[in-house]
Parts: sequence; C-alpha cells; structure tokens
Amino acid sequence: MLLSIADLVVELEDSANLSSLTSEYALDIKIKPHIEIHSKDYRLDSYPALSECDAHYMESGWFFYRELLKFNGVYLHSSAVEYKGKAYLFSGPCGMGKSTHTGLWMDTFGDEVKLFNDDKPALRRLEDRWYAYGTPWSGKNHININMKVPLAGMCFLKQAPENKIRRLDAMEALQKILPQTLHRFRLEANTNLLLSNLDKLIREIPIFELENRPEPAAAQLSYETMRKAAEEAGL
Amino acid sequence: MKIKEGYVLREVADQYVVIPFGSESVSFNGMITLNESGALLWRALENGGDRETLADALVGEYDIDRESALADADEFIASLTKIGCIE
Repeated sequence: MLLSIADLVVELEDSANLSSLTSEYALDIKIKPHIEIHSKDYRLDSYPALSECDAHYMESGWFFYRELLKFNGVYLHSSAVEYKGKAYLFSGPCGMGKSTHTGLWMDTFGDEVKLFNDDKPALRRLEDRWYAYGTPWSGKNHININMKVPLAGMCFLKQAPENKIRRLDAMEALQKILPQTLHRFRLEANTNLLLSNLDKLIREIPIFELENRPEPAAAQLSYETMRKAAEEAGL
Repeated sequence: MKIKEGYVLREVADQYVVIPFGSESVSFNGMITLNESGALLWRALENGGDRETLADALVGEYDIDRESALADADEFIASLTKIGCIE
C-alpha cells in the first residue's frame, strides 16, 4: 500500500493488520515511493514478548525512521502537541511523564491543543525550517493525527519536587536526544546521517530540560519559556 | 595501539563527538565528547600509534613541551582504554 507520511511517499507492505493502523495516511494515486518497507526485512525474533501484530508495527516503524535519515529527518521519542500553529515536543526516558505533561497542556490551555503523536513524531528539515509530523507509529495507544506543524521547541522532562526549566547547551542536548532516537546502526553511513541531521536540529531548535511536578503551573512554565525562545529564534 | 573499527568522529554544533556503529554500538551504548586536542589525538590513533605518536601530534599542533605532551597522551590512552575503544 502507498502512504504519505512526513511529506514522503512510502510503500509499506501490508502485513499483520498494518493497513488498519495506517489508513489515515493512505494515498490514492500511484507514484514512485521515496521509501519502500518490506516485511521480509523485519527482525521479528527480536520481539519475543510482542504479538505478531505489534512486532510488525514496531519493525515497520524502525525501517521508516531509519530511511527518514536520508530525507533530512529524525524521530524523537516524545509526546508532541500543536498549539497556536507551532509544535512542542516533550521527551525523556519511559516513565518521565511525557504524556502526563502534554495532558496537562490540554487541561490547562483547552481544546486548541492537539496531541498529534504520543510517542514517535517525525521531524524534518525542509528548505525553510524544521517541521514535526504525526505518523502512524505513535506507541501503544495509537494516538496520532496526520498533520504537519512548524517545530518551535523540544523539552526533556525530569520529575522533581519543584518546577524549574533551563535551556540545554549543545552537548547536553545531544546527550539527551541520542537515547531517544535511533542511534545504533550497522552502517557507518547511517550514523553519519544521524549526526548531520542532529547537528542542524540542535543549532536551530531551542532545547530545554524541565524539572516538574504534574501540575498546571508546570505547563504554564514550559509553554511560556518555549514560546519566548522560539520567538527569539525566529521560529 | 589503534582505535577499534566501528567509531565515527564528527563535529556536532561546534564540538567533537564520537559515536559507535556496528557491533561496537552493541557493546558501547553512548557517546564520547572530545575537545579540539582530544579530536587531534583520536585522529592520530585512528591509523595506529603509541604515546610517542600522540605526543608528536600535540607538539606539532600546540605550543607545549614534550613532557606535558607525553603526560596528556598517557591520560588520553588511559581514558580510551577504560572505555574500551582501543585495541
């Protein structure tokens, strides 16, 4: 089946119910794909604990995000929201409260906040700027919307007794990003692509660390700080 | 001694980082950050060498006496040995 994901045409072989999870991204016309994903390449035995369906879902995503590197893209393990036309991503290891924090944004700022990918949004540097995209790969709850949003900022979460936010320098940012994206490749060429793309991302997008408690004041703090930094960076 | 196969040295946001790939990325999961002289020493060791080779590289590039250069070379080799990326 042909899909349109992150402004790329993707030929994804239909297997283990993938068509129902990707229907929002289906393309009617027939054109040459940028990316082809074949189920014969899946390493299904790496997921002994998953159902066949989940293993196909994980592996198709892995191949998509690896190929995304060739199109000035990366993914960030994060919960991604759109608010007032800009994308804000909240990342960190599992259990750090990514979805809790974007949930707080929705509670605090209302229906204008759209959660467009709750696990693995795609990021691409197009000619004019970075964009974040909803994709079919969005974690176990399958929360995603097929949309494209100008990227304004990223924030790594840390639970703490009080709310505090600070901008990360380039090396801190890289250290935080690496474990939250695909970074272990067989081929040197892919490692090089990843580092070129992250170089651009880190130079252009303000990246923060938020120590926080799960309360509305934390959402106010992250929004105000990230909005201001994005404005200053002309994003 | 020599840097093992399977590491990429790159400049990211004006700093030097080393990331493993292939089988090294299985045993070493993370990144190494280097300053400018660290990157110089890394490159010198990519083709193989010893503390003398590294000291030569430092003396050739910086205004530094040989004794300090050898001490820096030893320190660099010790830290890479600890990480496990030289053979």
